[in-house]
Amino acid sequence: MPPSSDLLQGTLDLLVLKSLALEPMHGWGIAQRIQQVSQNVLQVGQGSLYPALHRLEYKGWIQAEWGESENNRRAKFYSLTKAGRKQLEAELENWERLTSAIALVLKGA
Amino acid sequence: MSRLSGWWIRLRHLVSHREEQELDEELAFHLDRLTEEYIASGMHPGEARRRARIEFGGVEQSRQRCRETRPGLWMDRMVQDVRYALRGFRRNPVFTLTVVLTLTLGIGASTAVFSVVDRILFRPLPYAQAEQIVSVGLVQPLEQTEFMLGGFYYDWKDHQRPFVAMAAEAASPQECDLTEPNPQHLACSRIEAGLLPMLGVSPALGRNFLAEEDRPNGPRVALLSYNLWLNRYSGNPAVLNRFINVDGLPTRVVGVLPKNFELPTMHPAEIVLALARDVAAQRKMNPGAPVRAFARLKPGVRVEQAQQELAPLFQQMRTMIPAQFRNEFRLKVRSMRDRQMSEARPAARVLFGAVIAVLLIACANVAGLLMARGVVRHRELAIRSTLGAGRLRLVTQALTETMLLSLAAAAFGLLFGWGLLRAFVALAPAGMPFLEKAQLDLRMVAFSVVVSIVCGVFSGMVPALQRPRMQLLTGTVLTAPSRAVVRQWLVAGQIAMSIMLLTVAFLLLRSFRMLENQRLGMRADNTLTLSVTLGQHDYPTPESERRFFRDLVERLRFGPGVEAVAVSDSLPPAANHNQRRLSSIEIGGRAPLMDQGGIVTFRWVSPEYFHALDIPILKGQGFREDEVSSGEPFVVLSHSLAQLLFPHSDPIGQRIRLDGAESQGTVVRKSDVTSSQSWQTVVGVVADVKNGGLSGEEHPEYYRLRRDRAEDWGGSGVWGRSAVVVVRSSLPAQRLGPWIRSQVTALDPTLPVDIATLRQRVSKLADQPRFQASLVGLFAAMGLVLAVIGLYGVLAFLVAQRGREIGVRMALGASREEILRLVMSRSLRLILCGVVMGLVLALMASRALSHMLFHVGPWDPVSYLATLALLVIVGLLATWLPARSACNVDPAGALRAE
Repeated sequence: MPPSSDLLQGTLDLLVLKSLALEPMHGWGIAQRIQQVSQNVLQVGQGSLYPALHRLEYKGWIQAEWGESENNRRAKFYSLTKAGRKQLEAELENWERLTSAIALVLKGA
Repeated sequence: MSRLSGWWIRLRHLVSHREEQELDEELAFHLDRLTEEYIASGMHPGEARRRARIEFGGVEQSRQRCRETRPGLWMDRMVQDVRYALRGFRRNPVFTLTVVLTLTLGIGASTAVFSVVDRILFRPLPYAQAEQIVSVGLVQPLEQTEFMLGGFYYDWKDHQRPFVAMAAEAASPQECDLTEPNPQHLACSRIEAGLLPMLGVSPALGRNFLAEEDRPNGPRVALLSYNLWLNRYSGNPAVLNRFINVDGLPTRVVGVLPKNFELPTMHPAEIVLALARDVAAQRKMNPGAPVRAFARLKPGVRVEQAQQELAPLFQQMRTMIPAQFRNEFRLKVRSMRDRQMSEARPAARVLFGAVIAVLLIACANVAGLLMARGVVRHRELAIRSTLGAGRLRLVTQALTETMLLSLAAAAFGLLFGWGLLRAFVALAPAGMPFLEKAQLDLRMVAFSVVVSIVCGVFSGMVPALQRPRMQLLTGTVLTAPSRAVVRQWLVAGQIAMSIMLLTVAFLLLRSFRMLENQRLGMRADNTLTLSVTLGQHDYPTPESERRFFRDLVERLRFGPGVEAVAVSDSLPPAANHNQRRLSSIEIGGRAPLMDQGGIVTFRWVSPEYFHALDIPILKGQGFREDEVSSGEPFVVLSHSLAQLLFPHSDPIGQRIRLDGAESQGTVVRKSDVTSSQSWQTVVGVVADVKNGGLSGEEHPEYYRLRRDRAEDWGGSGVWGRSAVVVVRSSLPAQRLGPWIRSQVTALDPTLPVDIATLRQRVSKLADQPRFQASLVGLFAAMGLVLAVIGLYGVLAFLVAQRGREIGVRMALGASREEILRLVMSRSLRLILCGVVMGLVLALMASRALSHMLFHVGPWDPVSYLATLALLVIVGLLATWLPARSACNVDPAGALRAE
């Protein structure tokens, strides 16, 4: 699922932030979580996931820490920062506004 | 995230590559988990790994995309590009050296010239808000530079409206003697106390003159120039309030002028004294003493407005001028830059234009070289492009390379420019105005860096913008035709530029030769001149001056090999400072020549003057020794003056009056009012002598005999107090010079003497054109060499590229002549294109330059033919080498390579 537009890219950021809001996770975990929660509709490939994670990290919304994974391997765990939490709220709000606007247009048409 | 931490990330990345490893580990982890997933679903481990790999996709791409999200990306890329470029340079040292050398030449030369012309064309004058400062005054045919006279200057100063302030400087430069132990002859000037404040200049040390010091018989005070202070007083602040002896008068030093200070008149004053005019007396006088006046415009007032607002004052003043001259005077207000630079500007423009042309040629050469290299690197570029390098990335990389090259060239160019500037100064001790002040400072550094960047972008952009084409990967297509065309146009442009440069250089050179080799009307060989200025202090009376020169001539006359000794107050062919109106001459029995416009020059000479300079006497006779002691005033006319005054009669024995209306309303620097108002008898007519400078108009001239009478001596000011002794001798100047010096020292050991052959004096007048011609010649030569290298490069490259084709042609039976013709015709076409464009450029350039040429038209066929011949010969030579190597292509070898 390569992000082909700003909307998709922004959406991926939102999904990642939302997934991390619950608990720190590594990249694989995030991909799995999104896939499961969306009931296999949204599949995030590593090709877009890791650039997104790095971008979010550079923006300071998430931070990374090396830790032990479930199967006792070294893995990089990402967690939300304070700024990330704020960003998530803002993006959620944005998303709501956008979807309801789209819904309005679709219904009205 | 704060900016600081962004920088931290960049820094961290630069310091270590840990991040890369972490990313790899992270990706590996992801892949492993994917594999495990497949295994868990019951797949064979090998198959599971394969499927996982397929699903996972390209690792390298995602690595790259992760890298691209980093904030410090551009820095990484730059470092990468720089390292890549450096590697390329190391692999190709000849190419690198050629490019850097070419650019060094261009940048160095333009930096050196820029440092000379900067002050003339661009740099602000060393005054506060210099654009508000103007020069104000009258002009008339005898004096084309604005002047004012005491009779109305103070009146204007009180009543003018357009200016914040007006202030004056003495009209002409002065010389003064520092009569202390280790005496020194200095340039001095006098200024009003208000001048420095008006210019917005305050002394570097001490203070300006006070109002009470700027009064006649006020306390004598002086300001020192920065250089005098540094050199003579070793920069010691204790010089303040010390008394120095200026012309024998104790004078208190009150200040030191700033380092970059220049008087508005540009007189090179080392000591500045107060003008100290008696204002009340001047106001009543008509005309009063001359001054140069300067003023600061009120904010918002333009120069033309100021001129208009002064018009009523000017009209009022005109009534003071005698009616017969009234219409000659005009009011002139112009900006300070115009006043100071109008003479130097054309030369500066020519030099700057020439050096910019050289720079363009150098840049074109570098662009050509880069393009040739680009063709060779085509495959490399195509590979990089296939591997995913974007267009922008390739262009940036190419620009990084040229930037590195040109910045290196800027550094070397600055060094080279510095050396060149020293060479300029050594070449032309007094040739070019402002040369002494030229220096390499931050402005120059900035200039050369900017030039190098522009050059780098220009020469890098052309090749960089060409898109590598994919079929080049296969190696079947070797030529990139479009590039070859661009390169050929560049070469044609270079040839055009060098034609323009060469033409201008030839024109200037020929003009200079004309100037130097023209007939002077006198003998300049075997003639030594000795110019002496007698100080007011040691020679207070006319009698003392007369006695000095009489004694000196006495001593010199019997020197070794001396044939003639003469004394004059000035020497041709320099423009004379003794000038008057032709119409002021009255002829016995006739009215003065009122209707005759024009100027006449005169000289005070001793009897042997004509003999010493070998000026032929056409009619009558020269002055005789015994006339020196007679009371009768005699005069000798030049041929042209005799023609004007006595067109139909014999001038010998005629009586003329030379003092007529002269004393009124003019600003001659020395008038001979001191002599009696009596009639003079014409005793001879001599041939015309070049007397208006080397390039100036010749004036009619008359000679007066300096007799043993006080009234013929003791003029005022520098011109009145200096004289030139002419010694003609059979002895070489090197031996006679020291002997003459010893004779002067025997008479007065403190007197500074300037000894030069007449030839040297004449040649000095041509210094500036010579300097200019040789500089432009140098640049033209540089341009030609670069252009020829460019031409050679293109042809050699074409031959190398078409080696196979030539081999095939030869194998198919083409003769050597045909191959030769193939290459030569290409070259000739380039040369022809360049010549046509160049001629157009040259015509435009020489038209713009025509007013600087002496006796050479802007379309001088000799210069044009010489240029064309030189260029065609050199161009064909550059063609010959590649053409010969084309003929020597071995057909069998070329075919086998196929």
